[in-house]
Amino acid sequence: MYRLLATCIKECKLLIADKTGIAILFVMPVLLVVIMTLIQNEAYKSLTESSIPVLLVNNDNDSLGLSIENGFKEYPICELTLDHGEIYKTNADIKKQMLEGKFLIALIVPKNATTILRGDVENIMNGLIDKTKSITKNPNQVNIEIIIEPTANKAFVVAITSRLKEFLAAVKTKVLFQIMSEKIAGLVDSKEKMAMPTKDFFAYNENYAVRDNKTYQPNAIQHNIPAWAIFSIFFMVLPLAGSIITERSEGLFIRMRTFPGSYLSILSGKLFVYFVVALLQFAMVLLVGKYVLPLLGLPILNIGTHLFALVALTISLALAAVGYGLLVGTLFNTPQQSAVFGGISILIMSALGGIWVPLNIMPHFMQTISSLSPLNWALMGYYELFIKGGDWFAIQFQLLKLFAFFVCSLFISYRLYKIKIRLY
Amino acid sequence: MVENSCIHISKLVKQYQGSDGFALNEISFDIFDGEIFGLLGPNGAGKTTFLSILCGLLKPSSGDVSIYNYSLNKDIESIKKIFGVVPQDFALYPTLSGRDNLMYIGRMYGLRGNLLNDRVQTCLSKFGFDKNSDEPVKNYSGGMKRRINLIGGILHEPKVLLLDEPTVGMDVQTRTAIIEHLQELNQTKKTTIIYTSHNLDQAELFCNRVGIIDKGQLLCIDSPQELMKKENCADLEEVFLKLTGRKIRD
Repeated sequence: MYRLLATCIKECKLLIADKTGIAILFVMPVLLVVIMTLIQNEAYKSLTESSIPVLLVNNDNDSLGLSIENGFKEYPICELTLDHGEIYKTNADIKKQMLEGKFLIALIVPKNATTILRGDVENIMNGLIDKTKSITKNPNQVNIEIIIEPTANKAFVVAITSRLKEFLAAVKTKVLFQIMSEKIAGLVDSKEKMAMPTKDFFAYNENYAVRDNKTYQPNAIQHNIPAWAIFSIFFMVLPLAGSIITERSEGLFIRMRTFPGSYLSILSGKLFVYFVVALLQFAMVLLVGKYVLPLLGLPILNIGTHLFALVALTISLALAAVGYGLLVGTLFNTPQQSAVFGGISILIMSALGGIWVPLNIMPHFMQTISSLSPLNWALMGYYELFIKGGDWFAIQFQLLKLFAFFVCSLFISYRLYKIKIRLY
Repeated sequence: MVENSCIHISKLVKQYQGSDGFALNEISFDIFDGEIFGLLGPNGAGKTTFLSILCGLLKPSSGDVSIYNYSLNKDIESIKKIFGVVPQDFALYPTLSGRDNLMYIGRMYGLRGNLLNDRVQTCLSKFGFDKNSDEPVKNYSGGMKRRINLIGGILHEPKVLLLDEPTVGMDVQTRTAIIEHLQELNQTKKTTIIYTSHNLDQAELFCNRVGIIDKGQLLCIDSPQELMKKENCADLEEVFLKLTGRKIRD
């Protein structure tokens, strides 16, 4: 125990003396979390809270144009610029503005759009009421032009065009009802206008599929805090493996092996310090999410209600990272080799694990592969706790897999060490 | 086992995996309590293999070594506490201070509290580290690193001190200081010192007895004076060349 303590003291002093190492371990995670969250939060906001710059040129100035106008005015993701054909007279004017980055999407409602629509609907109604009149097979179409900035996010375009189609369908139905009521009134010789329902026939309630009855709001924070904390903790592999290799390749290794007791107990001291560092890294990132990011206008991190499950998951994550560091440190012979392999392998595992991009946008076969990444196991565990309201039971497989990864890493490292020691 | 022997080496064999030859081929001899014993030999003779076996870094292929009645094959943990080892390479953390390095080594040998602090301070003062003991080792000169390396081996006052070329690459002043310290240690604490070196002049003056080893076999063992007399040579270097030949070794 005393030797373990002695090694811990030594490792702490080594860490404190290594300013670059400290920066990698503690400053990098905070910077990563802050920068990535700010970037991705904007992306989230663009779809849900603000502000796609849309130009609506309403040349109709009748009920169809006005309905579209009102609809987009109330649409929260739009930053609407309205024109009635006074400023933007031609498509060329509009495209010029778009290429300068002023708008992402432009909608142009043509002149007399309402008149054309009414004519088409009347034609249908006349055909239905009066059998002597036929319904035109090729009605006059209202050509609503949509101009899209080439770099516009596909999701934005879909959101706007869907909204447009929704308004058009609503207006079409409204006009149909109006004309139908006029025709029916004419048939029954009534002067009174028919009253139309003011409410929609359908209402939509959105709910998230969570395990408890609390309200969760998925946002960039809920993903980025655990994701980049996991990434940073695994990046600890670089200093840890480098430290193991440096010790092994210098005279220190000879001295250590001549100390009373096993070399493994010395190694345990080193691993313990890095394990504690990993826990501190996570705690620090969590505190940043809770107290610093809100100061930058971001939402507050919600860590769920199962604190012990969170601690257990973080311990498993730290053990998995430490085990991987030991494995890389045992496998390679120079710090350069371990740095290149360690760095690239973590980047690959993080990309596969859904740290960089959400898993659900990956192809199916990539999603299958991603389930092999320990970073993915950890991330899924944090999603359960932070987003889905899960508890111990919900993260049991993640805990088990991370711990098994740690045990396997230890076992393989031990076998490798035994092989290598024969070569010394 | 000879009387007054503290280390009894019996038919010690070491053959590395995949190698046809023997690094050590049935060598047997005794090292006496409190003596300074020099193990000399050309490159690849088996000196480092012998020291590595002695301090538990390597396992012998056959044979045994008895150290203060502990068997190397059975009681390695007890033997490790008896030994102090000074490797040829610097076994120090460059970013830690000399003091921190020594504190760590001392703790690993079970020293603690005031005893540890006093030992470290005494050794640092004795080896001329009054001013710069708290500076990182990476700022030290080669001689200073060599001295700290040596202190690491003697801090716990071992019964037997193993030194692998402790004065290699040092200036005359540092070399002399280290040899004087080792002699003092041997006389005051009765520490048995086993050391390897290519510096035969130094070995001639420093060692009570020397053994010359080549191709894994012990060629001779006696005091430098007796060896010179037996081989009818003017100095130890002449004895060495006479027994091991002039062919350059890999």
